[in-house]
Amino acid sequence: MSNVIVNRVAEFLKRFPPFSFLEKEDLQAVAKSVEIQFLEKGETLFRQGEAARPHFFILKEGSIQLIETIQEKQEIKEICDEGDVFGVLALLGKRPYLLSSIATENALVYAIPVDVFEKILEKNSRVALFFAAGFAAGQVVVRQDLSQGQKARGEFKNPSGDHSLMIFSDQSEVKVSENVLRCRLNTSIREAAKSMANHQVSSIVLVDENGFPQGIVTDKDLRNRVLAEGISTENPISSVMTTPVITRKKQDGFSNLYLTMIRHRLHHLVLTEDGTTQSPVCGLISDHDIFLSMGNSPAVLIHALMNTEDISEMRKIRDRAEQMLLYYLENEVSMEFVSSVMTEINDLIILQAIQISKKVLDPKFPEFAETPFSFLSMGSEGREEQLLRTDLDNAILYQDVEESQREKAAEYFLALGIQITEILLACGFSPCPGKIMASNPEWVQPLSVWKSYFSEWILHPTQEALLRVSIFFDFRAVGPRKSIAEELTAHIYQQIGKKKIFLNFLAQNALSNPTPLGFFRDFVVEKSGEHKDQFDIKARAMMPLTDLARLLVLSHEVVGVNNTFKRFENLAQFEPNYEELFIQAGKAYEILMRMRALEGLKQGNSGRYLNPKTLGKLQRQLLKNTFAPISELQEIVQVRFQLDYFSK
Amino acid sequence: MSWWKLGKKSNPKKDFVKEFLLKNEDKIPDIRRIDQLEFVVLDTETSGLNPEKDQILSFGAVKIWNLKIMVSESLELYPMTNTGFESSAKIHGMVGAESRIDLEEFGRELLQFLGNGILVGHHIGFDLEMLLKSLTPFGLDRFPNPVIDTLNLAIRLEHGPMADWNQINQNDYSLDRLCTKFGIEPDDRHTAAGDALLTAQLFQKLLFKAKQKGIENFSELVR
Repeated sequence: MSNVIVNRVAEFLKRFPPFSFLEKEDLQAVAKSVEIQFLEKGETLFRQGEAARPHFFILKEGSIQLIETIQEKQEIKEICDEGDVFGVLALLGKRPYLLSSIATENALVYAIPVDVFEKILEKNSRVALFFAAGFAAGQVVVRQDLSQGQKARGEFKNPSGDHSLMIFSDQSEVKVSENVLRCRLNTSIREAAKSMANHQVSSIVLVDENGFPQGIVTDKDLRNRVLAEGISTENPISSVMTTPVITRKKQDGFSNLYLTMIRHRLHHLVLTEDGTTQSPVCGLISDHDIFLSMGNSPAVLIHALMNTEDISEMRKIRDRAEQMLLYYLENEVSMEFVSSVMTEINDLIILQAIQISKKVLDPKFPEFAETPFSFLSMGSEGREEQLLRTDLDNAILYQDVEESQREKAAEYFLALGIQITEILLACGFSPCPGKIMASNPEWVQPLSVWKSYFSEWILHPTQEALLRVSIFFDFRAVGPRKSIAEELTAHIYQQIGKKKIFLNFLAQNALSNPTPLGFFRDFVVEKSGEHKDQFDIKARAMMPLTDLARLLVLSHEVVGVNNTFKRFENLAQFEPNYEELFIQAGKAYEILMRMRALEGLKQGNSGRYLNPKTLGKLQRQLLKNTFAPISELQEIVQVRFQLDYFSK
Repeated sequence: MSWWKLGKKSNPKKDFVKEFLLKNEDKIPDIRRIDQLEFVVLDTETSGLNPEKDQILSFGAVKIWNLKIMVSESLELYPMTNTGFESSAKIHGMVGAESRIDLEEFGRELLQFLGNGILVGHHIGFDLEMLLKSLTPFGLDRFPNPVIDTLNLAIRLEHGPMADWNQINQNDYSLDRLCTKFGIEPDDRHTAAGDALLTAQLFQKLLFKAKQKGIENFSELVR
């Protein structure tokens, strides 16, 4: 660390409260962790409704406005000046931002990690008071929101405890359609329906000569009142309309409008100038619009992902998914549901990445645009267990091409792999340290080469080959053509069938994972290095279970079950005498996944290393209990694959 | 060893040099977005401007990741110097001999920090020449990292890639002048780390300017 640079930052900070209240060491600690960010005039630092960042900000130079958007109208709540602290929501409640911050001139901002500051907040009452009194910019809103005084304390303990705001990420974002489809009362049913079809809308409002609403007809009315009744479509539309119409005015605010719809079971609510039927129609809200504004539900995130090819947008959606994940994990939603949803989202990002990349590359290589290929997700994403954006493990498998085209095809698919990988990295996934990625030419290969890779690993199970097996055997095809991947799976089983002893090697490897508990039944922690005194939950608890599940599933020649806890579920059916053990193992794995993901979200990392000292007594016991099935399974494998007699 | 290499004998590579070279074997894909690149902004303070005989008195650097200057990822080093330079260093109000580290330790920490980042500096050619000289005894014969000179970048962004350098007054592009021009609070103390921080802020602003000109990925930036 450079003292000169840290001091430079500290000198600036100490001129302004609350940093001016800090002792020298605390100030140094804060300065050391600062990230300096430059914002161009007009750029937005954070947006209203976005998930709170793990940083708060102090303005070093320039000017930043805090803006509240209500019903598409923007109101400036505060103008920040040099030394002003803002974005402290992250510090207080970890809830979505209530204001947007926009640079009104080029600005330099120091971002300070919340965790560094929280410690100071605990021991320095003057600093705590500074925030409590709402001196930080834009905090007025925070106080309003925490109207019940005690709530603030709770917020510290349970970051996402209040999820009411998560359901509607930003109420002002509810879109009101202003172009309402209208027709006169004497229009025929057929013409009205035709007009709805042309405009692709699900409702039409009937108006009189003043534009005042007289009735409404929806898709459902056409079905129930016209088709089911067998009425002639030449009849006037007014004969099937719902009347009188319930109307409100736009200014009523979102919650009132939404309540009206719920009370009257309306799918469509007509808005008029003054809110009565005696004024012209000016807008329409459908429940679909409201659905889209419900921030962090899987359906909305998936819908949003499907409709964007903008990479920064995709990243933001993935960030929001993490917020939803936290809520699920804390509320003990079933792991099967959680991992399926997250896998769906991850897969969709991959599919979008493939599509974007193909759009770029296909014009340059038109001859391969239609060549079948599969994008293989491996490791945890292959097992449908990737909750956090941990390491990417992936590869590309494509159909063999004519000899003469081989080189060109390799070039195309590698370029495709690089593009896709770059998009995934930009979406926040981490690169694979072992470079098992679709950007590595070794892992972008035609089917014939992949078959020979697997044959080689199975026939010559060296130490290195066995390590690869743990990643590659959990491959899962994401993307257009799954049939080539199936062909590869068939090949693998055929090879294993020919060389059964391979499973003994695999078994030996599965037992070589380090043990979780030491001689005194205490957690075995790392002895040195970056993670000294921390417990490696991945290597010591999760990997043994993944390896055992994979081995046993392979020995039963089960195809297509990748998920570790689903593998155990399957095994319970195959081996009824061990049913209880397999069910326990599956549960243990779910608990470990949940613990790791929560730790990762809390620390903003992969969650791989836990500090046993920070775990509560209950959690420690829970964690220890998950180890029991590991050793039992290991004993079974030891005997079943005769590892005592097996040459080591 | 082959005969044609005998004429120019290079020193055997120390382990930390090998490790550094290995890290740099992977090339950065051309299309990697600028916000996904790691930059190491560096500066050296030397006893003079002659790489043949002058020495490094101090080295300072800070990393930029995700377009943010990471204060936690910064470094300053004071390598051992021959006597004679010591006195001039003291006059600068700098570090005494006791807290200086030997050249091998200097090289090890330096290369570990640089990693496979993109090296950025103002008039960086000189700094790299000085640094390389101190590393040759340990077997490094060149820096494999991509390099960006903020001086060149500033000129390129202002005058276009085809600028006629003879028409440009290079004095207008000194670090101090550029900082003034870009509204970066200068620093009169001129330490290596302080200048590295200034250069990093300048570079941050140049990157935004580059973005406006449509420079968005690695190959477009480094050319």
